[in-house]
Amino acid sequence: MFRICMGYVNDHDWAKDIAQETFVTIWQQLPKFRNESAIGTWIFRIASNHCLRQIERQNKMPRSEMPEQLEDHIEPNREPQVQFLYKCIAELPETDRLIISLELEDVKQAEIAKIVGLTETNIRVKVHRIKERLAKKFENYEH
Amino acid sequence: MSTNIDLKNLWNKQATSDMPDIKELLTKADNLKKRARHKLIGLNLVLLATTAIMIYMWFNIDNELLTTKIGLVLIVVAIVSFLAVSNQIMPILFRSDFEGSSQEYLDQLIRIKRKEDFLNKVMINIYFTLLSAGLGLYMLQFIARMSTVWAVTYVVLTFGWIGFFWFYFRPRSVKKKQKPLIEMIAKLEEVNRQLGDGD
Repeated sequence: MFRICMGYVNDHDWAKDIAQETFVTIWQQLPKFRNESAIGTWIFRIASNHCLRQIERQNKMPRSEMPEQLEDHIEPNREPQVQFLYKCIAELPETDRLIISLELEDVKQAEIAKIVGLTETNIRVKVHRIKERLAKKFENYEH
Repeated sequence: MSTNIDLKNLWNKQATSDMPDIKELLTKADNLKKRARHKLIGLNLVLLATTAIMIYMWFNIDNELLTTKIGLVLIVVAIVSFLAVSNQIMPILFRSDFEGSSQEYLDQLIRIKRKEDFLNKVMINIYFTLLSAGLGLYMLQFIARMSTVWAVTYVVLTFGWIGFFWFYFRPRSVKKKQKPLIEMIAKLEEVNRQLGDGD
């Protein structure tokens, strides 16, 4: 769950906050959970929606206005390639970030479709395009 | 596709955050709730104080005219409705449900923000209308007792003040509340469109 949030915002502390908020929601809503969907789908839905909710916060404090040093000091020793991947993902359109994060987290595409609210075909096409886009970025990065 | 394996591999190398301490988290959530409750208590105190002042004025000032009383009531209604809507009803109306799909959630957020925008406009207008009308009516009795010169000065000043309120403060407060909402609606719609993009 943390990695999904991390893919969305690419900011360690921020991702941690989102993961915690998600956790509280899950804890509070758990008694209401009916087995209409798989528990995994349900949890990922809550996490994804908490990520999307950050749009409200982004509007209050645009990321570009955050001091650079702040971003540096919260990066706990990551490999440059890993950093680059998360950076690329965080630069994608919001919903693509969620889709690729779920895909990389090994969530089945049928499940992703249910989480995001699109058809499975749609998800397959989107995942394919996003991967192509990331692959291209990596090519440029390595050369 | 080799990139596929690479991506997954890299993705999984990201250290995850430690499992949060659930007790601490719930205490935090509880504290937030408590703070909200305190705010509500504060709001009620303000309401009570306002009403008390109004009641005091009702009984202690010689209100011969019905208009004075109506004026007082209108002012109280204006203040009470404004505070109640902005502090109590708004958050209940605009609470979002996290359990739907992303698309449903985005639709819901857009709906909520539109509603908020509408209610803001309506509420600010109602507030200013009631307050101006209340103030105007309340003044009538006192103006009637004054000499013509004083009465005219008073009327000009009062209505000048109300006009300033209506034509300067009202549009400004509407705009101030509206700007971030409109920006957010635009952003949410843009994100929602991503889900429909050319597939």
